[in-house]
Amino acid sequence: MHIDWFVFLCQIVNLLLLLWLLKKFLYGRIIGAMDAREAKIANTFEEAEKARDAARAAESQYEQRLQRLETEYEGMMNSARQEAESRRKEMMDLARAEVDRLQERWLETVRSERDAFLQELRRMAGTQIYAITRRVLRDLADVELEKRIVEILMERIEAMDEEERRKFRDSVAEGGFITVQSAFDIPPDEQRRLDEAIHRHISDGAEVVFERTDDVMTGYELKSDGHKIAWSIKDYVDSLEEKFYHALYEEAQEKR
Amino acid sequence: MEVVAIDQISPDQVILFTWGIVTVNATLAYTWLIMGLLVVGSLVITRDLSSERTMSRWQNLMEVIVGTIRSEIREIAHEGTDTYFPFIATVFLFILFSNVFTFIPGYVAPTSSLTTTTALAILVFVAVPLYGITKNGVVEYLKEYFRPTFIFFPFHVMGEFSRTLALAVRLFGNLMSHEKVIAILLAVTPLFFPVVMQVLGLLIGLIQAYIFAILAMVYIASATQTHEETGHKPTKETETVKIQ
Repeated sequence: MHIDWFVFLCQIVNLLLLLWLLKKFLYGRIIGAMDAREAKIANTFEEAEKARDAARAAESQYEQRLQRLETEYEGMMNSARQEAESRRKEMMDLARAEVDRLQERWLETVRSERDAFLQELRRMAGTQIYAITRRVLRDLADVELEKRIVEILMERIEAMDEEERRKFRDSVAEGGFITVQSAFDIPPDEQRRLDEAIHRHISDGAEVVFERTDDVMTGYELKSDGHKIAWSIKDYVDSLEEKFYHALYEEAQEKR
Repeated sequence: MEVVAIDQISPDQVILFTWGIVTVNATLAYTWLIMGLLVVGSLVITRDLSSERTMSRWQNLMEVIVGTIRSEIREIAHEGTDTYFPFIATVFLFILFSNVFTFIPGYVAPTSSLTTTTALAILVFVAVPLYGITKNGVVEYLKEYFRPTFIFFPFHVMGEFSRTLALAVRLFGNLMSHEKVIAILLAVTPLFFPVVMQVLGLLIGLIQAYIFAILAMVYIASATQTHEETGHKPTKETETVKIQ
């Protein structure tokens, strides 16, 4: 157990010297490097934190934008749907209107054709009835129908009351003339007889004009300035037409 | 090849050079060797220090050592780590390097000399009041010797001396006895056993360096924190935050 005091002092100096040297060459530098690294790491973490915050903010922003876009998309889709629906409705209305119009035109055509047909039917029926009636009358009475009709007209002229005669006279006095319209040509003899009958029962100076027209069908009309007396199988034909029209209408209704 | 003969208790007795009172013995020579190694090593390692993520393995080793010492000091002292660090680290590194080279034939650890361990213990003996006074002032420091009552003053003084003596003798005893055991074993069983003992010697050297440094730190801490409230949780929390 020996202590060399010189060595002891030397060791103290040595250790203090070592302390100073290490402090100068080792600790300061190493600790400096460590602190710098720590600061760098902290800085990196801070930057990462900032980047994360920025990324979160961006994410939130993009989410909001996406949501807004989705809402807008929904809105646009709804508006487009509504527009398409209204457009469809409009086009359907137009189509319906067009169909209605076409139907109306078709019905009009049908009606017109029906009327034309009935007109033709009436004319043919009248002609046939006239032919049948004439043949029947000829067969039964052995009298020509025209002659009989003229007789009926003359009977009517004779049977006219004073009021009717006055109307015809007033018309003749004002410069008019009396027209006898018939569906057939009245033979000259009969014309003469009628002329006489008119002169005798209505007015002496009356000018009588004979006209043939299909309008009266089989029969006659005695007209003067709006006044007339008439007999025709047109009435019978009208009745036939009415019945025929009803029959046709009912058939059309059933088909529809 | 033994530098220190079996009958020589210390490398102090191996005189290399003498001139008057100036005596250069093996202790001084090996101390200078260790100092030179430490200083040159420091210069080499710190020559290209990197504060980037990648670094040299030597720098990494030094950072691990420095970091460990700092954390140990922090655990004991809680604060002022960097104030005590150079002293504690120097003591630790010196003892550690002195001890671990004992596996080299012909090398004698300077710490197996009572002169060296006494010098180290005296440094601690001086450092303790120095740090205490620096931290708390002379009066506050001296007051500690009379706590809890003045009766305790002699015991405090005795404690100061006895622990210094213990520091010196513990280190010296361990290292010296280990060397003697190795020498004896070499004579008795030259194969295998000395190797095992050398390995054990590395462990002992490391542990002794650790014990010396930790005790020095504890003494300093007790001098600087004697009358302060115990518990320095904020420091711990600060550290936790820093690590995160």
